Amino acid sequence: MAIDQVHDLQQVYRKILYSMSRPGDISILREQAEQVDYQLPCYDATLLSAMALLDGEVSFHLISEKQQQVGGKISEYTLAKQAPADKADYIIVLQDATELSILQAIYQCKIGDLIDPQNSSTWIIETPKLSNTAELKLMGPGIKNEVKLFTGIYTKAWQARKERINEYPLGIDLIITDAQAHIVCIPRTTTVEITGVE
Amino acid sequence: MKTMTHFAFFDEGSKKEIRRATLKAVAIPGYQVPFASREMPIARGWGTGGLQLTLSLIGKTDIVKVIDQGADESVNAVSIKKLVQQTTNVALTENTEAASLIQSRHRIPEVPLTKEQILVLQVPTPEPLRQVEASEYITKRLHAEDEYSGVWLLLFEQIMKYGKTATGADHPVYVNGRYVMAPSPIPRFDNQKLHYSEALILLGAGREKKIYAVPPYTDVNSLAFEDYPFTVESFADHTCYLCGADDVFLDELIDETSGKSYYQCNDTSYCVDRLNSLKEKEAAPTHA
Repeated sequence: MAIDQVHDLQQVYRKILYSMSRPGDISILREQAEQVDYQLPCYDATLLSAMALLDGEVSFHLISEKQQQVGGKISEYTLAKQAPADKADYIIVLQDATELSILQAIYQCKIGDLIDPQNSSTWIIETPKLSNTAELKLMGPGIKNEVKLFTGIYTKAWQARKERINEYPLGIDLIITDAQAHIVCIPRTTTVEITGVE
Repeated sequence: MKTMTHFAFFDEGSKKEIRRATLKAVAIPGYQVPFASREMPIARGWGTGGLQLTLSLIGKTDIVKVIDQGADESVNAVSIKKLVQQTTNVALTENTEAASLIQSRHRIPEVPLTKEQILVLQVPTPEPLRQVEASEYITKRLHAEDEYSGVWLLLFEQIMKYGKTATGADHPVYVNGRYVMAPSPIPRFDNQKLHYSEALILLGAGREKKIYAVPPYTDVNSLAFEDYPFTVESFADHTCYLCGADDVFLDELIDETSGKSYYQCNDTSYCVDRLNSLKEKEAAPTHA
């Protein structure tokens, strides 16, 4: 079965929206991931998120060794153009990305300006496994008190994110995907505290 | 010949554009994200912002409720409901609890909303500073600089003139301590429902081409002064003449023969639900 561009992607969007409005709340895209019949070296949830949000109107930047394979295919499927990190609307980070390349992109990427804070980049980041156990403590709009989250993303990347969201409303919004088709979102309003693994 | 429209009326490109704007709106609570605002089969200013949000959100399994000033059966609600239903074939409901998507004009339902629901509000004037500044170029800069003296002055002038803040509806709110937002013309009675809401609240202004949002569990404070605290409409000593409710937003109606005023629930489905449950209670002993 192929992905249904209308109904599957609507479901994917609703789940991203749910997770974006409730940071730390993990949504599962399993049903939609089963429809993915492309053999690409990226997670199904990453491809689905990209297909739900990207089109010819926006650009993306891929951080991975598999530029050709994945970047080219995402461009073909969505008609989105590839752009350098400082110009891209979406930044897609695959599992094989190095810490250095992620950090560089965080410092380079668009965070909007005070007049148009929406002109910022949204990140789609892959990580092997997401769970609601300690490592990070999240607080902010969309979270009742606080929520625990384990992402396995480099500590330095969280510190770099903190620097980039310091001048709220400027900042970046994250969609984190894992191998089991889970997604979790961390918008710029969320305070992320590194508590360490339990 | 009847032409078939695409699911949810829009082409996928239009939906994606609205969806991207909506996600940005959720990430920056209270900030008005500009969007393209498509031509709709209803006129701008008649709920096209809300309708576009609803159509970008809707899926086959959704259950939709549309209300207009608390009523499920008024013209605006019925025509929007028909358009949504005919282009998506989703189920419609009047029951607030059963709905997964609620589009509303100028009211937040009386029944508390849940985590699984999304409330879409139609907004005529999304800019809380518009009354003090006509230029969009300038209001965008005022928001950027967190410069809201204009809107405070507006409330101050009302206190000078009337002895209280006289916003009938659309009383401005501070969202997440950063942006001043027009909550759409909901009565002040509903402003408190925005604060730490369980449901995601999306606001769409079609004519003004803006989308903004209040995520769940977000601080929403109505603007007020220390010595003139925020107050809501009071219905003390009044109850709904149909169902007897005394803790909801009531409409004042005038009896034309006697000239006396009487009150009725503004949220019609809430009122009908109460009447039905009262009737069941009355009927129950007769079965015994």
